[in-house]
Amino acid sequence: MAVIRVEHLDPKLRRWIDWGVTVGSVMLCLLILPLRIPGVELLGVAPNWLLIWVVCWSMKRTMWQGAIAGLCLGLIQDGLTYASPTHALSLTIAGALTARLQKQKYIQEDFISAAMITFGMAVILETIVAMQFSVQFLMEQSPKTYIFLSETWVYHQQIALSSAILSSLWTPVVYFPLNLWWERMRTLEDLQP
Amino acid sequence: MLEVYQVLAGPFVGTPNREQVLNIAQDEAVQQHITELESQNQMLRELISYQSDQSPEGKMAPVIGRSADQWWQQIIIQRGSNQGIQVNNLVASTGGLIGRVSHVTPNTSRVLLISDPASQIGAMVNRSRTMGYLRGQSESRAVLVFFDRFPDVRPGDVVSTSPLSQIMPAGFPIGRVESINNNTSPSPEAIIELSAPVSSLEWVVVYPNSKGQNAEILQESASPSEEDSTDTPSETLSSPSNSTDQN
Repeated sequence: MAVIRVEHLDPKLRRWIDWGVTVGSVMLCLLILPLRIPGVELLGVAPNWLLIWVVCWSMKRTMWQGAIAGLCLGLIQDGLTYASPTHALSLTIAGALTARLQKQKYIQEDFISAAMITFGMAVILETIVAMQFSVQFLMEQSPKTYIFLSETWVYHQQIALSSAILSSLWTPVVYFPLNLWWERMRTLEDLQP
Repeated sequence: MLEVYQVLAGPFVGTPNREQVLNIAQDEAVQQHITELESQNQMLRELISYQSDQSPEGKMAPVIGRSADQWWQQIIIQRGSNQGIQVNNLVASTGGLIGRVSHVTPNTSRVLLISDPASQIGAMVNRSRTMGYLRGQSESRAVLVFFDRFPDVRPGDVVSTSPLSQIMPAGFPIGRVESINNNTSPSPEAIIELSAPVSSLEWVVVYPNSKGQNAEILQESASPSEEDSTDTPSETLSSPSNSTDQN
């Protein structure tokens, strides 16, 4: 079997493959989102795969790149669930914050730090969603439907904790292969004249 | 020798604990009481399904996914508009009502479960006909908020959809009263244990909803002036439905 080495490919084709891998990994994350794999669930909450992806993407990129990735994935998630409140806001903030963290100064660059960042971001993300629900509740003129204010925050504790634990534990699964690929692509880009 | 052993071992042999024995007996009595209640409920449920059997045929649909985020309790089923599923259709499973269709794509539909806090439907205690509205709480539980200050309700009572509901047909079984909290204001609440196994669904049945059109009108014109009709304002979906999605 002939092994195709990425190094030997035409740079243009390689860039296309790079994009394909990136988009494909997003698709994969989106497709496992509605799945409840046995043993992956905690209190009915599954890992937030999109957040994991956004964290992996943003870790070595600029704030804008992180924010835009968060925005795009958030809008797609809106389509998969309900659009009010939107998921785009929280994911955008998570992406921008991850990129802003300046890890290279404080934390070592490995998948344990990625897991730790995911933990923090999951808590921040769910807090933002809970705040959106609260604002929605307070702005509502006729009490049509809402999650009641007190319940939102009870719910929030439960969701934030289980989502943070699960997401951070599953981060290496996404981070390790993606990071390896992107690193390789980056070194190849640098080798280009 | 054995006599010596008996004297030595005496202090270590416990006498049967009176309290323990009594507790076990009490437990058994409670167990029997539960079995009796369960058979009674079974009979009630049979009676209910006898009535609901007369409604139009339902469509079987496999469950292919769950909510794609943490905040919504919903399932994705593998039947859509191509198979004649419409928004607001009722979804039931063995054991009772589980939700209603909120979004439809050509081959899939999304169902908002009654265990979602945003899902609010009119419900009734079968034994005493006490009305209230049901709000989801967690995976297998919901809260029934009564309209009366002193509702006639007991733990174990069967709860089904209310005949006053404008978006649900009456008589769909929902669950059983688990406990009652009289201290909430303005009216008491009961915790309902849903009879359908919401967290482990594989197949569901989708029924057409004769009151589905009402829900559409209701959503558009829901205003505070309608509050005099008992469960009107609480019975809407929060997100504007009918939008198609990209997946």
